[in-house]
Amino acid sequence: MVKLRAKCIVAGDPAVGKSALAQVFRSESAHFPKNYTLTTGVEVFVKSVSIPDTNDSVELFLLDSSGKEIFYDMVAKQWENSGALCLVYDITNEVSFNSCSKWLERARAQAPGGQLPAVLVGNKTDLAARRTVEYKEAEEWAASQGLEYFETSAKEMENYETPFHSLARAFHRMYEERVELVKSLV
Amino acid sequence: MGRRDVGAGAQLLLAASGDERFPPEGILDGNTETFWMTTGMFPQEFVISFPDLVQINNVKIHCFNVCGLSIETSLAKDPVDFELLCEKELLRSEDQLQVQEFEQREASARHLRFVIHSGFDHFVSVHKVSVEGEAAND
Ligand SMILES: Nc1nc2c(ncn2[C@@H]2O[C@H](COP(=O)(O)OP(=O)(O)O)[C@@H](O)[C@H]2O)c(=O)[nH]1
Ligand SMILES: [Mg+2]
Repeated sequence: MVKLRAKCIVAGDPAVGKSALAQVFRSESAHFPKNYTLTTGVEVFVKSVSIPDTNDSVELFLLDSSGKEIFYDMVAKQWENSGALCLVYDITNEVSFNSCSKWLERARAQAPGGQLPAVLVGNKTDLAARRTVEYKEAEEWAASQGLEYFETSAKEMENYETPFHSLARAFHRMYEERVELVKSLV
Repeated sequence: MGRRDVGAGAQLLLAASGDERFPPEGILDGNTETFWMTTGMFPQEFVISFPDLVQINNVKIHCFNVCGLSIETSLAKDPVDFELLCEKELLRSEDQLQVQEFEQREASARHLRFVIHSGFDHFVSVHKVSVEGEAAND
């Protein structure tokens, strides 16, 4: 039985739904947060994810960061040593999609060894009629960066767990690879 | 009085371990093949406690992917009131263990706390710690 812990950052432009996604994942069955409050700085909570076909689990320490540049210095400090990245954009907002490479670069720069399991999330699928970023375009960019791609609606509570479960599995895989590496050295 | 290994009788305390395959006891068994593996996030720490006060001349650690490391000492009966003894950024090593020695003069301790502040990877391992010195009541 292995219990891993990863600092998981939720990053992306302001108002894409980072806090909403983190909050529905935290409470699973609880409701979509109705009051829109701008995240200032960083909020943290912990959620344990079991890894299928094992007795292992990964505790995700979720950091919901503000996407506002004025908080960036504060946020950057909190991002040190992060173990997983949930990169979020809004499918109705192309600018937020274009910002993803910036967020990804910043997050990777803070990760130990520059290596960081990450997923791309296109949020607000309930507003599909106003979509400006095509699924295929997002998926292709994600693949080019080595990320898995998911679409969610935090509002309709659709698919909100999958990105986090995928991150937990990726972190667990990375751990098992490291164990094999260390064993091969001794 | 010659230098000797004062590790005999020392105990390992307070290491958080998330993987029972690699428990912290691997640090003190004198064998680099057994190791303690951290299971995510920094800082990480472990404490070595001696049965009595010891005078430490040298501390040597075998580890992998450790970056920022500090060693602290406590003279108290219980592992509290630690004071910084030394601090170092280790060199990265790709395909063999890191080996780092810390020469000390006149450092007394009943407990040694090792704090790993950062790593070259998400996970680091500690394979062996040896402490040379004299038991203070020799
Ligand atoms: N329609 C819709 N609105 C959403 C969704 N997720 C978040 N929102 C709304 O988008 C706005 C910004 O959400 P918030 O979670 O605070 O974004 P953050 O700044 O990225 O943390 C709020 O008005 C939310 O109610 C979603 O999936 N669908
Ligand atoms: Mg927010």
